[in-house]
Amino acid sequence: MSGDFDAIVIGAGHNGLVAAARLAKEGKRVVVLEAAGEVGGLLGGSDPVAAMPFGIHNKIYSGLGLARHGLRYGAPMKTLSLGGEGRVEIGGAVASGVPPEMAASYAELHRKLTRYSGALAKMLAKAPPRFRDGGLGDMLSMAQLGLSIRGLGKTDMRDMLRIILSNVWDLCEDEIGDGPLAAALAMDATLGGAMGPRSPGTVLTLLYRMASTGSGGAGQRSTPIGGAAAVVSALVKAADSSGATIRTSAPVARILVDDSDRAIGVALENGEGIRAPLILSNATPRRTLLDLLGPQHLNAEDVARLRHMATNGMVARLDLDLAELPEGLSEADLAHRIVVAGDMRQVERAFNAAKYGELPNAPAVEFSGRKTDTGWRLGALAQFAPCNLKGGWAKAKKDRLAKSVIKVLDGAIPGVSGKITGADVRSPADLEATYGLTGGHWHHGELRIDQMLMMRPFAGAAQYRMPVAGLYLCGAGAHPGGDISGLPGWNAAGQAIKDGGAK
Amino acid sequence: MNKALTPRPQMPMGVLKTPFHERMAAENFQQSWMNWNGYASPGVLDTAEFEYFAIRNQATLFDISPMCKFRIKGPDAETVMNRMVTRDVRKQKPGRVSYVIWCDEDGNVVDDGTLFRRSDDEFLLFCQEPQLLWIKDIAWGFDVEVTEVTHDLSGFAFQGPTTAATLRDLKIKEVEEMRPFDIRDIKIAGKRVMISRNGFTGDLGYELIMAPKDALAVWDAVYAAGQRRGVRIIGYEALEMARIEAGFLLPRVDFISSQTNLRVNRARNPFEIGLDWLVTFDKPHYNGKRALQRLAGVAPKRKLFAIEISRDKAAHHALVYHRKTREVGFVTSALWSATTKRNIAYAWLEAPFGQNEKDDLWVEIYLQREIEWQRRMERVQIVERPFFVHPRRTATPPLDF
Repeated sequence: MSGDFDAIVIGAGHNGLVAAARLAKEGKRVVVLEAAGEVGGLLGGSDPVAAMPFGIHNKIYSGLGLARHGLRYGAPMKTLSLGGEGRVEIGGAVASGVPPEMAASYAELHRKLTRYSGALAKMLAKAPPRFRDGGLGDMLSMAQLGLSIRGLGKTDMRDMLRIILSNVWDLCEDEIGDGPLAAALAMDATLGGAMGPRSPGTVLTLLYRMASTGSGGAGQRSTPIGGAAAVVSALVKAADSSGATIRTSAPVARILVDDSDRAIGVALENGEGIRAPLILSNATPRRTLLDLLGPQHLNAEDVARLRHMATNGMVARLDLDLAELPEGLSEADLAHRIVVAGDMRQVERAFNAAKYGELPNAPAVEFSGRKTDTGWRLGALAQFAPCNLKGGWAKAKKDRLAKSVIKVLDGAIPGVSGKITGADVRSPADLEATYGLTGGHWHHGELRIDQMLMMRPFAGAAQYRMPVAGLYLCGAGAHPGGDISGLPGWNAAGQAIKDGGAK
Repeated sequence: MNKALTPRPQMPMGVLKTPFHERMAAENFQQSWMNWNGYASPGVLDTAEFEYFAIRNQATLFDISPMCKFRIKGPDAETVMNRMVTRDVRKQKPGRVSYVIWCDEDGNVVDDGTLFRRSDDEFLLFCQEPQLLWIKDIAWGFDVEVTEVTHDLSGFAFQGPTTAATLRDLKIKEVEEMRPFDIRDIKIAGKRVMISRNGFTGDLGYELIMAPKDALAVWDAVYAAGQRRGVRIIGYEALEMARIEAGFLLPRVDFISSQTNLRVNRARNPFEIGLDWLVTFDKPHYNGKRALQRLAGVAPKRKLFAIEISRDKAAHHALVYHRKTREVGFVTSALWSATTKRNIAYAWLEAPFGQNEKDDLWVEIYLQREIEWQRRMERVQIVERPFFVHPRRTATPPLDF
């Protein structure tokens, strides 16, 4: 066994880096082991999969001194919703390009949802309550969440409880009416998940997203100056400056467990062993526990929960090269998040196909873009593109998806197809292969009511502690989940320190 | 005939008959049948007392074909069984049976059963409750094949003091060398039989397992040979009396399997049930181990005790009181034990009663005498399990009676 560390972090995604930086800041000797040749996970590379991150949580931003390490945010990203008649621009509660009465009711809806998400936000920033035996302690934990909802006042509380498990389709139909504006909200509610606007629970996912308080507040994507790469670089610097070691091209093969049922280190694929009394895994729950740890260390119930965890990724990433921008798309537009879905119906239709393992004829798309040496590059996310596509993700399927995305874009931005010189498609299956993402799922597991809070990643394994002592989960598979907040990594490191790990 | 109208072969419906059904029916003078796991199983054939005394004095046949049976086979069979049960299966050699329990993640007992090690890489597991999915969940990720063989294997328990003599008459030479919990593959009436020396009577006894097509031939041979040894077919009622005496517990009667309880806090762990002796921590992780390690360190909130009660009325369903006033528990199984001449029972007692507080415990027995109810308070003594075990159970070679 070589090496001598207080803690090992498996995976240098942003959550792994946050966890490493927090542990290192607490004086732990930390090594981060990244399987790929570069750090950053889905934020890594020149065209990262998650190009439009939500903001790193304020608590982490200040806790790790990310400003000092060069992370600055510009104005929150606006959303342009094309695909309908004209162009709808959304910034927080303000929507333009829609009839005034719709804009007014949207503002009202947004204010309401912001209040509700505030009640939820308190739960995201800390370890979730834990269900032990249905006893008093659990009731008190639940009561905490109940109290923050009660704190909204009687009218709001009733309304929140009325809508929280309903679907975003009904909510938007009731409050603002269908159209490009509602479509943009529906995209927010469903992106990355295996649910359409009419799926129950999509109001909850919308609120959840709005509760991710980055610099932009209430669900707006942040604009890190320098893009996703700037987030990664600041986190690396934060970890580095506290003395953490980051190793790339160091894939972990196994988590080692001793006779007293404690995780004691890892074995790399090259056979190298590294010991540490504390291991945090940024890999998905299934990969961490079933592949790296192994079912022999788990109860059958947990193995079954992991097997049954909903992790079917639904988003494909497309990089489209353009020689020049078409009319109707300006350089300034590309700094925004552009949603191309005329109405919620289109998003729902796209989901209908994916539900049965097929590709939609008209996917719902969102994209941003950047200038390259030879022209422009649009980074688009297309949903719904199921990881478990019937017949698998052959090249023909990717071509079909690219074609359908381009057709959708062409419908909203006439002439764009003629400017496209190349298209590169990364399917969820590709993401699984490249990043070890189970099911190619962004959030390491569906964000839905039965996989949230104390049920995340699965019942009985909340609070970041995994069944083997010394092993923690610090990725999006842990509470509060995905969307590049850094909170799972931050909370996991906090829990490990609180538990007295790596003394 | 119109093809479309030809009836399709149907799943068997109603209560099934085991291969021994006609033989049992011929002697079932009470026409008493129970539904055991979907099969007709005799409750009592003649009188429970005759059958009970046959267990204690002669030889008895009890059809165990309805038991749930599973085959676990493959390179990881030992690992998988060791991962499932609380005993150390690595210590169980091929050709040996053991009594095992298995627990869920909370350390609560799922079921108990007998585990037959057929070879290095093959086990048979017999138990009360359907467990196929449970075993498959345990086996997920391991190189092993799990098959339910409930309907592919028949068998009967052959229990009682004169069983060895009967088998001797059948020229089964293995009887001489078989120690308790040994398995042998033998032939009776030319048919292949897996015989093991174990049972639930606290006395000499065997279990014989065979293919359904061979079942009747084996039964007939044993039954014929047993005629001069007082052999009887017995039903569940007599068996129930013997198993209480012998110290065996019954899921759904003495405790609830953690797979079937509806109310939280109804499932029970091995320390509460008094099966600590089946739990080892000296082996790699197995299902529920972490919870069991925690539970081993704390005093159980309640425990199942063997109790002895004054006078002769069995304390069926009785409540247990401290100082005749405070309710502290209840009886699950009760029997006036004719062999030991003791009034015995199993009872759940809330801590500290039975554990530290053993005195001044009473059961309230209700007696109906020609419509009228009477109530009796009888004194309770905490005693050790089993109530009955005979040296014959372990004597090798076994005597003729």
